[in-house]
Amino acid sequence: MTKTYDEITALVRDTLVEAGSTFRPDKIAAYKRAISTEHNDKARWVLETILENAEAAEKNRGPLCDDTGIPHLVLEVGENCAVNGRMLDAIRQGVADGLRALPGRPMGIMGNDSHRIDQSGGLDPDPAGVEPAPILLRRGKEDVLRLHILMFGGGPAIRAKTYRVFHKHNTETVLNEIVEWAKESVGQLGCTPCTLAVGIGRSHFEAAALMLEAQADGNYDVQSEMEQEITRRVNASGIGPLGLGGNTSVLATFLKVGPQRASGVRIVCVRPTCCFEPRIATVELG
Amino acid sequence: MAQIDLHTPISEEAIRALDVGDTVTISGIILCGRDAVLPRVLKMIDEGTAGQLGVDLRGQVIFHTAVSVAGVGPTSSNKLEIESSIEPLSAAGIKLHLGKGKLHEATVNALDRYNSVYAVIPPVTALLGARTRDARVLAFPELGMEALHIIEVDRYPAIIAAAHGRSIYD
Repeated sequence: MTKTYDEITALVRDTLVEAGSTFRPDKIAAYKRAISTEHNDKARWVLETILENAEAAEKNRGPLCDDTGIPHLVLEVGENCAVNGRMLDAIRQGVADGLRALPGRPMGIMGNDSHRIDQSGGLDPDPAGVEPAPILLRRGKEDVLRLHILMFGGGPAIRAKTYRVFHKHNTETVLNEIVEWAKESVGQLGCTPCTLAVGIGRSHFEAAALMLEAQADGNYDVQSEMEQEITRRVNASGIGPLGLGGNTSVLATFLKVGPQRASGVRIVCVRPTCCFEPRIATVELG
Repeated sequence: MAQIDLHTPISEEAIRALDVGDTVTISGIILCGRDAVLPRVLKMIDEGTAGQLGVDLRGQVIFHTAVSVAGVGPTSSNKLEIESSIEPLSAAGIKLHLGKGKLHEATVNALDRYNSVYAVIPPVTALLGARTRDARVLAFPELGMEALHIIEVDRYPAIIAAAHGRSIYD
């Protein structure tokens, strides 16, 4: 059944607030597992404090982190669903309303191209001045219109990397590179434990899109062998929560491997998402 | 874990008694600044105009955070403009730099020269909100959330990550 502009706007607003303020049940379970197996006192204290923070944020319907993030949207279109410009306008309005309601951090930069690069255009005082990234659209398996909203913080963006890997016709070569990138970036992140989001594609755009999809589809309770291997090897580095040591540097890995080309190169995107990410919520719009 | 309660302004003696790995709470009036504003504060110190801030920097805490309607939370202290501020701000009397992330060895040694320390705080915005009583802009309001802010805090939790030439990350 088709929803009205106002109905879509309200749903998107509430979903964005949920994304910025709530841990999903599988993430809560992952934290509880980590707390039960962590032997480092300081690391366990950090994990417990992050979980306590999540409970407070959900109760308040307020931000998990003051870096409330940049909205990234994945729109799944089912077999008989139609998307039009008016619907996209309603989604955009819902995002703006959600940023005001959360409230999002007012960190949109104003001005022309140069002003926005060097930040001389000043900050937009309206939380809705933070514009969402371009929407990723994909075919849905179910006959519904489903929107995932993910809030991307700045710390992981600083440490993320998209680059080519010469695979030498060996999957292990690519996994080794991912682990090495991850160990370096997780160590610098500060806000650990993280969840590694990884996309492997044929271009930088495709690898980054797969990294986004990996977060939309990822589940802490369902981990492939490759995901488990990456997590285990990065955790062996002993970086730990907040970098204070311990065996919980990474809670899980969300990996998405796309179609590949006949070539000696794979394009790999690794984002070490922070202790709150993926900050995600999902809604059906019709 | 045993914890040490610190109140601003923090004395030289209290800093000398701290060690890497100590769990502390921080209470009182503290300063907040990050990438955009810290170079401007350093310029004021260089020009001898820091007195115009109306706050005695001696014994103070600088929290590497923005301050906005979304709350507060640490940004990475190893970002260029932030980490490079740690030595000159310590020389100006700042006793505790509060943020997150590993600092370079040169910065750890600089902290030691001025009997200052670095502490990390979990990015727990929802919890910190309940422990933050008052916030106002102290200088450079045109920077919005990145202006120099002063806030009153009650028992912010932190762990000493660099002190007396040692780092918890070593």
